[in-house]
Amino acid sequence: MIQDNPDSKFIFIFHPKIMLGKKYTIRNGQEMTNGEVLQFWGKWIVLGEKLWLDELAIKLDPFVESKEIPVIKYDRVPSVNLGIEECVMMVYCDRRDRDNVWQILSRFGVKLKAWVTEKETMEMWLPGGQLLERWIESKNFDAATQNVVREDSQARLGYIFDHPDEVFVPWEQ
Amino acid sequence: MPVKIIIPGSLKRWFEGETEYSCQGDQGERILDCIDRLEKRFPGVKEHLIDPKGNISNVLIFLNGDNLRSLDGLSTTVKDGDEISIIPLAAGG
Repeated sequence: MIQDNPDSKFIFIFHPKIMLGKKYTIRNGQEMTNGEVLQFWGKWIVLGEKLWLDELAIKLDPFVESKEIPVIKYDRVPSVNLGIEECVMMVYCDRRDRDNVWQILSRFGVKLKAWVTEKETMEMWLPGGQLLERWIESKNFDAATQNVVREDSQARLGYIFDHPDEVFVPWEQ
Repeated sequence: MPVKIIIPGSLKRWFEGETEYSCQGDQGERILDCIDRLEKRFPGVKEHLIDPKGNISNVLIFLNGDNLRSLDGLSTTVKDGDEISIIPLAAGG
């Protein structure tokens, strides 16, 4: 089902069971640990105009309903402050399933083939990571606020790296 | 040996509006060699992709879907029929 909440930066596509508190980071009936997420979880990146992504979302929704794709999110508006002129769609899955998910995407005209692991993304958002530092710069925060942002990032993302055996808990977006 | 370069709309201004480009090269050449060929066709593009220290910057580059960071970086070799996709750095997060 497509969840389009105007208050959220993202539009989501997830299985209705997620609304009942079920997680999407599940494999063979088991919730994935932080360590497994860092090892296997990732997403295919799709870039495009919002209207095209809206149409693609409708086509992909049945594959989320059938659980072939665990979850999808995409931008409501482009992140221009980060230098992106198009909206970004992230089609999440386990690395071990990514070829099947790619076949689905390519069937609907996706050509750009870009797999980004969750580990790579988290590393870019840790203190010193390229994305966090660029985002801080784009916001013109004072030094104290910059430190708060970095500490928050370290606390949230660093925890995942430091506790590989705990069950992964996705955060609200 | 053709290698296909796939470019999203966000970056096509660096490639004179192209979103796909077939780069002819030699068997076994490196991604860096492909980028040098791109620079000849699209002057100025190299400095958008690689910083003065020779590291990939501003973008993420993928060979057949895999991030070069998980391969051999710019030294990764390409073969006939390979596809290189380039996305803005921030799109990876």
